[in-house]
Amino acid sequence: MSQPRASLRPDLQGYILVAPALIVYLLFAFYPMLDVIRMSFVSWNGLSAESKFVGLANYRAVLTQDPVFWGALWNTVWWTALAVIVPNLISFGLALSLNQNIPGKSSLRVIFYLPVIIASIAVATIWKWMYDPFFGFFNSLLTSWHLDAWITDWLGDRNVALWSVFVAHVWQSVGFSMVLFLAGLQSVSTTLIEAARIDGAGRWGVFRYVTLPALKPTLTIVFVLSLINSLKAFDIVYGMTGGGPAQSTQMLAMWAYTQSMQLGDFGRGSAVTVILLLITLAIIVPYLRWMLHRPEAAR
Amino acid sequence: MSIFSQAFRPIGSNKMDPVLVALWIALILLALIWITPFVFIVFTSLKSNSTVMGSSAFSPPTELAFDNFVAAWKRGNFSTTAFNGVVITVIKVPLGLFISAMAAYALAKVPMRFGKVFFALCVFGTMLPFQVMLAPISRQVNAFGLINTYPGIILPYLAFGVPYQVFILHGFFAAVPKELSEAARIDGASHFTIFRRIFLPVSLPVLSALLILDFVATWNEFAMALVILQDPKMWTLPLGLMSFQSQFQSDYGELNAAIIMTVLPAAVVYLMFQRYFVAGLTTGAVKE
Repeated sequence: MSQPRASLRPDLQGYILVAPALIVYLLFAFYPMLDVIRMSFVSWNGLSAESKFVGLANYRAVLTQDPVFWGALWNTVWWTALAVIVPNLISFGLALSLNQNIPGKSSLRVIFYLPVIIASIAVATIWKWMYDPFFGFFNSLLTSWHLDAWITDWLGDRNVALWSVFVAHVWQSVGFSMVLFLAGLQSVSTTLIEAARIDGAGRWGVFRYVTLPALKPTLTIVFVLSLINSLKAFDIVYGMTGGGPAQSTQMLAMWAYTQSMQLGDFGRGSAVTVILLLITLAIIVPYLRWMLHRPEAAR
Repeated sequence: MSIFSQAFRPIGSNKMDPVLVALWIALILLALIWITPFVFIVFTSLKSNSTVMGSSAFSPPTELAFDNFVAAWKRGNFSTTAFNGVVITVIKVPLGLFISAMAAYALAKVPMRFGKVFFALCVFGTMLPFQVMLAPISRQVNAFGLINTYPGIILPYLAFGVPYQVFILHGFFAAVPKELSEAARIDGASHFTIFRRIFLPVSLPVLSALLILDFVATWNEFAMALVILQDPKMWTLPLGLMSFQSQFQSDYGELNAAIIMTVLPAAVVYLMFQRYFVAGLTTGAVKE
């Protein structure tokens, strides 16, 4: 089958090879992104045939009248900041420790990574049961330790619910960055470490002047990936609290979904999406430029 | 003590390092915390409801209530959701990898006027969060009349899976030496032949790593399925579990059995192929 096509110009062959992936990507990922921008200027209930252009009214409504938006924005920022710092610090510590000469490394790695491959919705269900106010793990533990005063409705109390969800997120996400850090640590040359040791560098000296500089690209990647991942926090919140109680765990991604798909206000939902996309872009674009201008990417 | 005889010694030293021993103990403790949820789930799944409410939460089950699994399988419609999950995964994963590999080859090895633009689009796509755009995606699927169909979920899955895979494979193909394909070009082979005969075979290790990663990701996906597969007959396992949780949340034993049945396939695949997981995550991404 390749013989007759061999006469095609090489660049045409290239376009044919790119076409299937490109078309499906443009139709079902790129176009919806453009469509949502258009929708954010329109009033549409998701069912009726006609929609009306309303200019910036959706944005005005979201920013000034929506009682949930600012809370959801604050939660998203809070969540993102913590999700970038806390799990990654644990991952980094784990990776450094698991890179040492200690027994049982591979089993330990499996244990810490296992939650990563579990469906987020299952993680949510698991932790919802752990947090069960009557028979769940935490309250049973507190009862057996006679700390009854600490017993809490972990997901029902608006002051602690977001923290409770976050703990589940930490449990699920630590393994992911850990593996990236471990891979990055492979690139730290052992000869360099030995040389530093011989020159009298202590544990801290080796870490500060050999390991850390070699990990710089990994640190950047982990930072960006966890930033993006936390902006799209959806499954775990949906599964554990659905945004409640009293919208105290509501996030922008889920609020956009709720507005469009459940309240039937596609215009406002799209406006929320566009705001979140803009925040995401502000993070992506500098990273993309770094990515595309790295010397080896320019090949 | 034989396994320990070489352990706890830092690089370039022959002495046991007490700091490493302390670190090791801390790691073991943390690992115990990490597996606690799994143990708790397994224990609960094997208890009858009256035992859950009557006995300590941490005691292992005394009479194993395996009927929880049977009951949860029926009530949760697991035969339907598992079947849908298999159909979607088995079609999406190989198909996605194949079209990604084609595109990655062309972008890496065929000089094209718009090659750079395509590649930039693709890198952009790796960062685009679809959870944010659920409504417009479902609108687009609806425009094609594909809500509640297999193609309706597979096409967006492909669209959001392609960029990352192209990105990784592009890095891999770009590193394949020119000489390998140049000789074949001179012999008059087309790019299609070179891709199929030379590049596809050499990329098998990367492809298998991506295959396993993508299998788990597709199997576990929830948000997009939530908006596109609204008919319970079309649900996948995560949707089934979510519905089970909201309907039968006080049937603790069965709920936990349902969790285990949802999680098990991905966990088994991971334990069998864990080498590839790490390879798949890190090829290209961290290499400098």
